[in-house]
Amino acid sequence: MTLLSVTDLTVTFDGFTAVDSASFTIEPGETLGVVGESGSGKSVTALSIMRLVEMGTRAKITRGRVELKMQDGSTLDLLGQDEPTMRSIRGNQIAMIFQEPLTSLNPVYPVGEQIAEAVRIHEGSDKKTSMARAREMFDLVRIPEADKRIGQYPHEMSGGMRQRVMIAIGLCCGPRLLIADEPTTALDVTIQAQILGLIKQLQVETGTAMMLITHDMGVIAEVADRVVVMSQSKIVEQGPVDQIFHSPREAYTRGLLSAVPKLGSMAGHDGPRPFNLAGDLA
Amino acid sequence: MTSQSNGQSPVVEVQGVSKQFPADHNARVHAVTDVSLHIDHGETLAVVGESGCGKSTLANLIIRLHDADQGRILLKGVDITDLKPREMRAHRQTLQIIFQDPFASLDPRVRVGASVAEPLRVHKVATKEEATDRVRHLFELVGLERSMLNNYPHQFSGGQRQRVCIARALALKPELVIADEAVSALDVSVQAQVMNLMLELQQEMGLSYLFISHDLAVVERIAHRVAVMYLGQIIELGSREQVFRDPRHSYTKRLLGAVPIADPRQRTERPLLTGEIPSPVWPAGEGPELVTYTEVEPGHQVADE
Repeated sequence: MTLLSVTDLTVTFDGFTAVDSASFTIEPGETLGVVGESGSGKSVTALSIMRLVEMGTRAKITRGRVELKMQDGSTLDLLGQDEPTMRSIRGNQIAMIFQEPLTSLNPVYPVGEQIAEAVRIHEGSDKKTSMARAREMFDLVRIPEADKRIGQYPHEMSGGMRQRVMIAIGLCCGPRLLIADEPTTALDVTIQAQILGLIKQLQVETGTAMMLITHDMGVIAEVADRVVVMSQSKIVEQGPVDQIFHSPREAYTRGLLSAVPKLGSMAGHDGPRPFNLAGDLA
Repeated sequence: MTSQSNGQSPVVEVQGVSKQFPADHNARVHAVTDVSLHIDHGETLAVVGESGCGKSTLANLIIRLHDADQGRILLKGVDITDLKPREMRAHRQTLQIIFQDPFASLDPRVRVGASVAEPLRVHKVATKEEATDRVRHLFELVGLERSMLNNYPHQFSGGQRQRVCIARALALKPELVIADEAVSALDVSVQAQVMNLMLELQQEMGLSYLFISHDLAVVERIAHRVAVMYLGQIIELGSREQVFRDPRHSYTKRLLGAVPIADPRQRTERPLLTGEIPSPVWPAGEGPELVTYTEVEPGHQVADE
């Protein structure tokens, strides 16, 4: 039973096609990695699913369907829904987290209050219940010294802790799909490892499906079940992660992979070694 | 960590350099503490570490954008630590730097050809005609079309802009180029092309690089030797093989273990950790403990734990 089915999605900005006829699916509980270089259309695809892309921009979704399977078995085409309906979808069914947690968090409210606010808005619960949920979410995302940290402001936390708070906000209403747009890109590598480990563990615990957008092939190799490769507004290739990395069909994907520095690949070589660029980059 | 030169001074030698910056409430940021290293001719030394470890401050100290609180910096055997700006100018020909963001490094209102020619003009090393020839040659060298000479920075892609910055850094025929996260902002295909270019130029011109990066996979590709920095100090230094194949310090191991490997067949289980990187800010009068080193193999220095 497919959770989300995107068909022929096309988005234009003043005549420029940012996403061109994209089609892919996301199954319940799986991680779909979306990889591509800057400007390839990854984020616009995600924002289109959330129906956020047309807000305050000149973007137009000109074609396609974004079908979400609802709990009652019915299917909802998100592109045909009005804003009130979309508000009930966002957070409850599909949540999204971004690269830079500091700009996603309100600087003048304590972080715990911001999780509780999301719970109150989406579930109409009272202050006490929502704060209790915020506290539970702190434990879920393994924030140490939770009782102290829940009252802290965003600037008092490190980048890794802030991203944990964002994940908590994303997951607080139990969405079935979490869209994560470059969630570890701004983090140091040891902190990135922690957040990736956390995301994988939370998927096991909550069964949430994930659409993980990144430019980092290492991150994709580490967490994705299936991979969509985007280039110049189009999906150039998609398939299981092992197939994409070990038997890519398209010249673009082969070029991309030949440019990725892979830790350990230099064993036995004395000096530095240039990349042997393949596919489109040869 | 002194130089083991073969009769020739290293291109650069850093001896026990420290730098602090003032922070709030009389506290001090101990950005770089007692760092010593050297780079030989034609060699790439990579300095790796996480944000705030002091790697960029180290670069700025070597190029004298900051003055060191302690220690000496020797450029081809000449002590440049206390040189006045005017005296320093002659040495800047030996020593050039490329930064992370090429857009911020180029004047948006100056045609790129003129930007590349500017060092030649400032140092008065070429006539106008010579400079024009040299700039054309540099453009060829870094793989840019001559027809782009009269374009403005905004007309280039990120990778092309970084090539312009490399051309400008090479204008004075330097011996050492400091690359401070020079490929970090580039898309991976462009990053590979720019790294290949840097390796080619090293072969052709015998350049030395101080390659500063947070990306260990990139460093493994480009470095001859590697220094790992943590909270302002070097905690491990050795050849690439020594540091990557036989890491001894617990932080080096942690850093290497955290790098996602671009191969789904090499997935590892990650323990659920919550540690954070400690702060390099200390109250007045306090500071980090100075590390001591053990040489575990020739050229492989590891901070004692």
